[in-house]
Amino acid sequence: MLEVLGDLAGGFGVALQPTNLLMLLVGVLLGLIIGVLPGLGGTSGVAILLPVSVLIAGSGAGGATTAIIFLAGIYWGALFGGVITSILFNIPGEPWAVALLFDGYPLAKRKGRPGLALSSSFVSSFVGALLATILLTFFARALAFEAIKFGPAELFAVFILSFTTLVGLGSEAPLKSVMMIALGLLLAAIGFDSITGEPRLTFGHIELLSGIGFVPVTIGLFGIGEVLASAEEQGIGFVERMNAKVGLRDIREAFGALRKRLGMVIPISIIGFLFGVLPGHGATAGSFLGYGLARQYSKNKEDFGKGEISGIMAPQAAADSAAVGSLVPMIALGIPGSPTSAVMMAGLFIWGLQPGPLLFIEHKDFVWGLIASIYLGHLLTFLICLAAVPLLAMIMRTPYAIITPFIVVISIIGSYSLNNSMLDVFVTIGFGLVGYWLRKLKYPLAPLVVALVLGDSTERELRKGLIASGGDPSTFVTSTVGGLPLSALMLFLSVLLVLLPVIRSMRSRRRAAGDDVPH
Amino acid sequence: MVIAAVAMFDTRKGALPDIAGGAPGGLSGGFYPFWSAAVLLVFGALVALRSLTTPQAATGVFKDRQSVTSVLTLAVPMVVAVALIPYLGFYLMTSLYMGFFAAVLGRYKWYWVLAIAVLFPLVIYAIFELGFRVALPKSIFYDLVRF
Repeated sequence: MLEVLGDLAGGFGVALQPTNLLMLLVGVLLGLIIGVLPGLGGTSGVAILLPVSVLIAGSGAGGATTAIIFLAGIYWGALFGGVITSILFNIPGEPWAVALLFDGYPLAKRKGRPGLALSSSFVSSFVGALLATILLTFFARALAFEAIKFGPAELFAVFILSFTTLVGLGSEAPLKSVMMIALGLLLAAIGFDSITGEPRLTFGHIELLSGIGFVPVTIGLFGIGEVLASAEEQGIGFVERMNAKVGLRDIREAFGALRKRLGMVIPISIIGFLFGVLPGHGATAGSFLGYGLARQYSKNKEDFGKGEISGIMAPQAAADSAAVGSLVPMIALGIPGSPTSAVMMAGLFIWGLQPGPLLFIEHKDFVWGLIASIYLGHLLTFLICLAAVPLLAMIMRTPYAIITPFIVVISIIGSYSLNNSMLDVFVTIGFGLVGYWLRKLKYPLAPLVVALVLGDSTERELRKGLIASGGDPSTFVTSTVGGLPLSALMLFLSVLLVLLPVIRSMRSRRRAAGDDVPH
Repeated sequence: MVIAAVAMFDTRKGALPDIAGGAPGGLSGGFYPFWSAAVLLVFGALVALRSLTTPQAATGVFKDRQSVTSVLTLAVPMVVAVALIPYLGFYLMTSLYMGFFAAVLGRYKWYWVLAIAVLFPLVIYAIFELGFRVALPKSIFYDLVRF
């Protein structure tokens, strides 16, 4: 314990050096800008600026530490910045901000509290990240070694649990939720099969071989779909008249709301962190899991989707803690915990460092400087965001005739810049129209997006599990981690969650039948 | 349901586990999409059945004619704008699209329309093309006007 604290103090000594602090600030500001721009995510932002980090790393002794602090700053900035377009425009700036659409936008728009929605998200982000960084500080190596023991069976069960939470908790129609999950899984399967390499559902079109990305679909469903839906609800020419005046009152209220929800935010941050530690997953899956859990255990389930603060705080705290958690396997074992950390890890190789347990011994300054910079980076981002809340909310006063085409244009750029592909733009517009129609017919969009995001990984783990067991499906219930049948437990919980709406419906029918009986 | 049926037909060969056939883990590439489509089909049928057997509200899908006009006013220019990108490129399209909304919906004075139509593409060019090195699609007049 004392040794860790000593190392951390040394890390702060490194991170607080003027050059490192300056590069952290630059990284955070760039990350905020990147996060606000839809489609241009933290991962692509870090990738685009990787050449700059090489220049920084080569600038002298300690250059690699400065470079990783700079890249990590972009990641933290993008994490916070991604929430802004989600909450204000219903366009996810980042994949991990998708879960924020469900309650962030309703609170900002329908309840007229954009400042509170933003402040709540920033406050929970900060708390989630702070908790996760404390966990990372003390348990980095031990946790990574535990997570690496998760096999395909456990990972598959985690994904199934994520889906069933969406069905079992719903105030929405569970049948429609299952339909949307199945549609998402089907869309995720389009393109090359990652195991055998055979093309699926491409109908001879080469453009479809690489599959349908979830970011263009999400931008379409939520961004374009919402523009069309609001045109119908409010009529064209409608000018957003949301109260954009925010200030200390919102921030104080957000802290008050956080205090009341600490019992939910703390465990969700810890779960988000543990989820982030699992190799291959990051903030996006963590945020969906956080939202699902918050809804599952909330007493006000029916308020979710209508601007419930827990629906903002939970995914945001989980996303940030998962993002911090995703650095654990990267620095301790050399396994990227998320796509963004994979790009950062590429940087380590370019700078001549070998990620893995030896980093803790051979490059102590690097590891502990990075860990200390996570504390500083989040504090810096949090303060910048709080100070900028009034400026951000002012965006809502922009006239309809400018903001509506602007949202469409930004959505087009966002989907195009992912792969420089016009197909992605067509997908965005197509799903915008589909999303508008689904919304009209009261189909829930969240399960579709969650399934599309996690569909590939779910299939991969299912098939990896079967390959490892020689085709024996019982591996998903017999697999154990440290003697614990975690996979079986999670699958059992999933079955219970699916049965929940059936039980609920039977109960309400029985109650209705009871009411009809004449007394 | 049509989407599900087409997907099931396309992936029908992989529908059943195939351990003897040598597919890795006993599953070929079609298994997962086939059964996802099957779930979609079954639950689609259940939703359809429920909507047929449950009394529905008497109101139509749209509130009134005005709401249809509002949606079409946004949807049609958007689809046209995207369809024109391969020819006009992103910047010319943005200029026309933003200018159209400023003129028709905003009813701004001509100099405001012009300012919006010129400034927005320029700002986007500065941020994306110069700042982030994202090359957005150019027009068929690229050799003449360089955008």
